[in-house]
Amino acid sequence: MPEPNTNVGAMTVRKAGGLSRGVRVLRNLGIIIPLVVITLLVLTAIFAPLLAPHNPTENNMLARRLPPAFMTGGSADHLLGTDKLGRDNLSRLIYGGRVSLSVSLLAIAITASIGTFLGITAGYLGGRIDGFIMRVTDMALSFPALLLAMLLQIGIGPGFFTVVVALSILGWAGYARLIRGEALKLRNSDFVAQARIIGASPLRIMFRHIFPNVINSLLVIMTLQVGMMILMESALSYLGIGIPAPTPSWGSMVADGRGDLDSAWWISLFPGIAIGLVVLSGNFVGDWLRDKLDPRLRQL
Amino acid sequence: MSKTVLEVKDLRTSFFTRRGEVKAVDGVSFYVREGETFGIVGESGCGKSVTGLSILRLLPEPAGKIVGGKIILEGTDLLQLSKAQMRGFRGRKISMILQDPMTSLNPVYTVGDQIAESVRLHQKLPAADMVRDEVISALRLLKIPAPERRLHDYPFQLSGGMRQRVVGAIAMSCHPRLLIADEPTTALDATIQAQYIALFKDVQKTTNVAIIFITHDFGVIAQMCHRVGVMYAGKFVEKAATRELFDAPRHPYTIALINSVPRLDRKDERLFSIEGQPPSMMDLPPGCRFAPRCSSAQDICVQQEPPEVKVGEEHFVSCWRAS
Repeated sequence: MPEPNTNVGAMTVRKAGGLSRGVRVLRNLGIIIPLVVITLLVLTAIFAPLLAPHNPTENNMLARRLPPAFMTGGSADHLLGTDKLGRDNLSRLIYGGRVSLSVSLLAIAITASIGTFLGITAGYLGGRIDGFIMRVTDMALSFPALLLAMLLQIGIGPGFFTVVVALSILGWAGYARLIRGEALKLRNSDFVAQARIIGASPLRIMFRHIFPNVINSLLVIMTLQVGMMILMESALSYLGIGIPAPTPSWGSMVADGRGDLDSAWWISLFPGIAIGLVVLSGNFVGDWLRDKLDPRLRQL
Repeated sequence: MSKTVLEVKDLRTSFFTRRGEVKAVDGVSFYVREGETFGIVGESGCGKSVTGLSILRLLPEPAGKIVGGKIILEGTDLLQLSKAQMRGFRGRKISMILQDPMTSLNPVYTVGDQIAESVRLHQKLPAADMVRDEVISALRLLKIPAPERRLHDYPFQLSGGMRQRVVGAIAMSCHPRLLIADEPTTALDATIQAQYIALFKDVQKTTNVAIIFITHDFGVIAQMCHRVGVMYAGKFVEKAATRELFDAPRHPYTIALINSVPRLDRKDERLFSIEGQPPSMMDLPPGCRFAPRCSSAQDICVQQEPPEVKVGEEHFVSCWRAS
C-alpha cells in the first residue's frame, strides 16, 4: 500500500526519498557540476602557491610559446604551454584566478551592499530622498565606466584596489535601481502595513520586512554580476588599465595572447574557458539558490 | 456602564492632491467602550477606512493629513504624540486587522516569527521561551489548533481563514485596548466568515477589548456590533444601538441602505437600490450631502447642513426631518 501523502501544498509531489539514488544524483547534476567547479576554483585560488608548478611571473626566453603537453612539441613541465615570455600558462591561470575572483567578489560585495541600501531607502522612504538617490543613480548609469577607470588609474595609481574601486564606483547603480523598484512595490503591500500596525519603525520595516523579500532578485543580479565583473576586470586589464603587469589576471592573459591567436592559441583560450566556466557556474548556482530560498518551493 | 476606551472628537482628515483637498473624513465623532464593538458602515469611499487609519495615524504620506479634531485613547490625545511615542502605542494599545489575509502576512517569516516580532517590540521579556509562551497564548486565544506546530508554518501553508486568525493573533498578542477591524471578513467565504465573527466575540469576552468594526455588510453588523455609525461622504449620518438602528432607523440613507439588503423573509421582484451616486469628495453639495439622492429632501436640505440631533438614548441623527 502506498504511503499516504502528508505534504501540505504539494499534493501530487512525492518525496525525493522514493526515488532511486542514481536518478537523484542525475537529476541534481545540473547543480552538482557548477558547485564542484566553483569550489575547485575557490580552492585553487586559495592554495595557488601550493598548486602552481612554476612562478607565474618568471620569464624563460628559451621556452617561449611552448604548446600544451598534449600537443606535439609540448612538455610535461608546462601542462598548458607557455606564453610569449616563456611563463608557465597553468601557473598564470591559477594565480590569475586568484586575482580575477577576488577582484570581482570584492566589487560585487561592495556594489551589492551599497546598491541594496540605497535602493531600499529610496523605494521605501520615497519623496525627495528617492528623487535625489535616483538622480545620482541615473548619473552613475550614464557615466562611461572605462573613462572613470582611466581617471582613477591616473588619480590613485594602478593596483588591485584601484580596480576594485573602478568596478564598484558605478556598479552599485544597477542594484539601486532594481531594488528600488522592488521596495516601491513592497512598500504598499499589506504585510508592510501590518508591520506598521504593530509599531515597527521605518528602519525595521526596511531591513526586516522589505530586505528579505528582495534577496531573490538580489541573488539573481549578483550571480549575473560575477560574470559581468570578471568580464569588466578583463576589459580593464585588456586595455592596460587593470591589474598592472606582471601580475596575471584572466583578462590580461586573454589580452596577452591576442597577437598569437593564429599560432599560439592556448595563451588566450585557457583563461577564456576559465572565465566562461565561472560565469556559467555562477548563473547555475544563482538559479538554484533562488529556488532553495523560496519558501514555497522548499518542500518540493 | 463600562468605561470609554476611545473617544474621537470632530476628526477631520484630508488628502491633499494636485487637484485640491479631498475631505475624506469631515467632522466625525464617536466613542467605544471597553468590551464593546462599534460598527462603522457605509459605501466604498465614504471614509470609513480612512477613519480607522487616522486613529492609528497611518495615513498614506505625504498626501493624507489629519487636519483637526481629537483622538483620545484612555486619556491620551494620540494626535499630540511624537512619531516614536505613536509607534509605542501601535500594536501595544491599538491594533488593526486588515482585509486580505492572503497578503497581510510576510511570506518569508514563519507564523511564530511574525507574532513574536510584535511581542518583542512591545514587551521587554528577558527570555526567549517567555516570548514563545506569549506567542502560543496568542494563537490559543484565536483558537488555532495545535499552536506548537503552527508556530513553524509559513503563511503559504495555511488556509485563508487560518491566516486571518494568525493576523488576529498578531493583533491581540500584546493585549491591546482597542482593535480596529477593517472588513476582516470580506475576503473570507460565508461559513468561515460566521466562524470568524463568533471567534471574535469570544476573544472580546476574554480580553474585554474595544473593537471598531468597519464593514459595508449589514449582516455582519447585526451579528457583531453593539452600536453602529452609518457614514456617508465623510460624515456620520446616524449613530445608534444596533437593535435600534435596525428597528427604527431615522435617516433616509440608513432606511434606504437597510431596505436594499436582500431578505429571505420577503419575496421582492427586484432589490431596492438608491438612485444616483455619492457626491464627489472634491465638490460637496452645500446642504445635506445626501439631499441630491434623498427622496424626501426639502428646500432646507439643499441649503444648510443638518445638525446632529439626539433622538433617543445613544441615538443621533443628522437630518432636517428628524429635528
